[in-house]
Amino acid sequence: MKPKIGILGFTGCAGCQLMILNLEDELLDIFKRIKLVSFQMASSEMKDEKLDIAFVEGSITTEEQKKELEKIRKKSKILVAIGNCATLGGVQALSNGIKSSREMMKEVYGGEFWRLMDSKPLSEFVEVDFELFGCPIEKQEFLEMIRFLLRGFIPLKRDYPVCLECKLKDNECILLEKRICLGPLTVAGCGARCPSLGLECLGCRGVIEGEARLESAIKIFEDAGVSAEDVKKIFRIFSANYPDILEVKS
Amino acid sequence: MRLKINPLTRVEGHGGIYVEIKGKEVKDIRFEIYEGSRFFESIIKGFKYPIVPDIMRRICAICTASHSMASIRALEDALKVDISEQTELLRDLLIHGEMIESHALHVYVLSLPDYLGFPSIVEMAEKHPKEVKGALQLKKAGNMVHVALSGREVHGMNERVGGFSKIPDERELQKILEEMKKVREFAVLAVEIFSTFDIPEFPKSENLMVAVEPEEAFGYYGNRISNSENDRWEVHKYREKLKERVVEYSRAKHVFYDERPFMVGALSRISLFGNRLRGEARELYRENEDKIDESNSLTINLAQAIELVHCVERCIELLETLISREVEKEGLPKIETFESHGIACVEAPRGTLIHSYKLDEEGRVVEADVITPTAMNAANIEKDLRISALRLMEDEELERKLQLIPRAYDPCISCATHLIVKRS
Repeated sequence: MKPKIGILGFTGCAGCQLMILNLEDELLDIFKRIKLVSFQMASSEMKDEKLDIAFVEGSITTEEQKKELEKIRKKSKILVAIGNCATLGGVQALSNGIKSSREMMKEVYGGEFWRLMDSKPLSEFVEVDFELFGCPIEKQEFLEMIRFLLRGFIPLKRDYPVCLECKLKDNECILLEKRICLGPLTVAGCGARCPSLGLECLGCRGVIEGEARLESAIKIFEDAGVSAEDVKKIFRIFSANYPDILEVKS
Repeated sequence: MRLKINPLTRVEGHGGIYVEIKGKEVKDIRFEIYEGSRFFESIIKGFKYPIVPDIMRRICAICTASHSMASIRALEDALKVDISEQTELLRDLLIHGEMIESHALHVYVLSLPDYLGFPSIVEMAEKHPKEVKGALQLKKAGNMVHVALSGREVHGMNERVGGFSKIPDERELQKILEEMKKVREFAVLAVEIFSTFDIPEFPKSENLMVAVEPEEAFGYYGNRISNSENDRWEVHKYREKLKERVVEYSRAKHVFYDERPFMVGALSRISLFGNRLRGEARELYRENEDKIDESNSLTINLAQAIELVHCVERCIELLETLISREVEKEGLPKIETFESHGIACVEAPRGTLIHSYKLDEEGRVVEADVITPTAMNAANIEKDLRISALRLMEDEELERKLQLIPRAYDPCISCATHLIVKRS
């Protein structure tokens, strides 16, 4: 029996679903090994049946989405959150804890036309079996993960920073140039994409759980002459829901 | 009778159609959007200009480079930044690559299954392996441009205000060139396939066409917007020409020209500027001119297919130029910040995209405004749905047929819900 798979999405840009479609060389082979029950972006067939694995993209921003997610959890054996929105709330969480969506709605629409909640990751509402980080997810990581899952295993989490991959690439360290690079705080897996292009890591894969210490990082950046406020502003782009950041409000 | 189609499938994001028919009258028609709003124009406030494109390109995955380029060009307009000729060539290549990736996905993966009677390309792959393989190869060639120039397929970061952080090396460009030459036949195949279909005419109705006037030949950059009534205006005047209205059931605002809905995208571009096409794209355009019906939105796919041929040919041309003149390493220019306002437009795969930013003296955003193609098309989609529902009232396949309309426009619902700042 082929495993039944669902690829579903909530609030986001659909980029992680697109990354799956971007597996041009492997796509048809993957589709042969699974039974795709729903893939809204690519198929008009929508079946409401039990799933072996649900890949869920996007953050939760409405009550209806929360209920829908709970339904997906109930009918799925394994639930995988894919991408920054699903794992951390996404860029749309930037105003969480600063400005309520109600205020923002009034400010920009002149009234509250529908109800929105702060943008939150899936794990806030249901149990998540595995998380794939990144904005967007990495194709290779998705392939690696699906190989594990199809054999009945949950892959191990990466617990080392982007710096490690950056060093392996022999890149010059961007911190030495006194630029805010979030590499030391960020979960590896992207092959240090941004620093390899001479750009600062923006932390789109989120912080390393239990390892990263924002306060000490801020000190390092401050020593380099960057204000704590600027560091937090950058940090918030992809990790606004990270508890540390909400505590050290600027 | 009330009909609710939710969710629309094979579109990017979460949308639906609501139709209410009473007697022989269409009482209500709505193109609904359920995607949660993401407040981009609000969250971007306070960020310094270099990082603005990194956040704004997250509005959309499929047209990430278009948002990148619209924001970068608007910021360069504000800060009076000049770019090199090499940067211009590379940017032109990037936008054409994005068009290939997006159109290949839309024409082959999202639309073709409708015409061949399959729920998706997965089922289609067995009976039409050539088309499916070709589609994926074509898409991959477009993505190769994204990876080489932008850093990855979705939300790349290498294109910056002022130029590119790392210039791709010649070997990479050579590889893309070879691939483009190989996939050219699949772009042509798309035209062949869509020109043989009997395209239904139920949405047929007058369309007002709007597109960015390309700088030269056929292309996607320019500073002026034109329409099919011979009105042309500088992008700086977009607020005077394009008016937005809040639509309560939709999280996208609708946009009107002179109180009327209008169409943006491939069909607009081809009908306004098709006579500027060159090469095989020109020949195919001439051959199919009578089939591309600007009053029928279902011919958008054929217009996209012709654009696919143009894009592959243009990529080949640009790559050959870049290779022959030898790419040079360039640093990013030094940029001074001051209180400023910049506006730019670009043709995204789905149509005209406008970004506008006001900056303070330190280069931080104080106000931002974005109008996306899907917000522009939303009112026109409703116009087509209304007329089609009227004509198809007795049709047993009303539901399936109505879905063809929004799908033809290739709506990008994530784009549409970026939210627009209200002006006083």
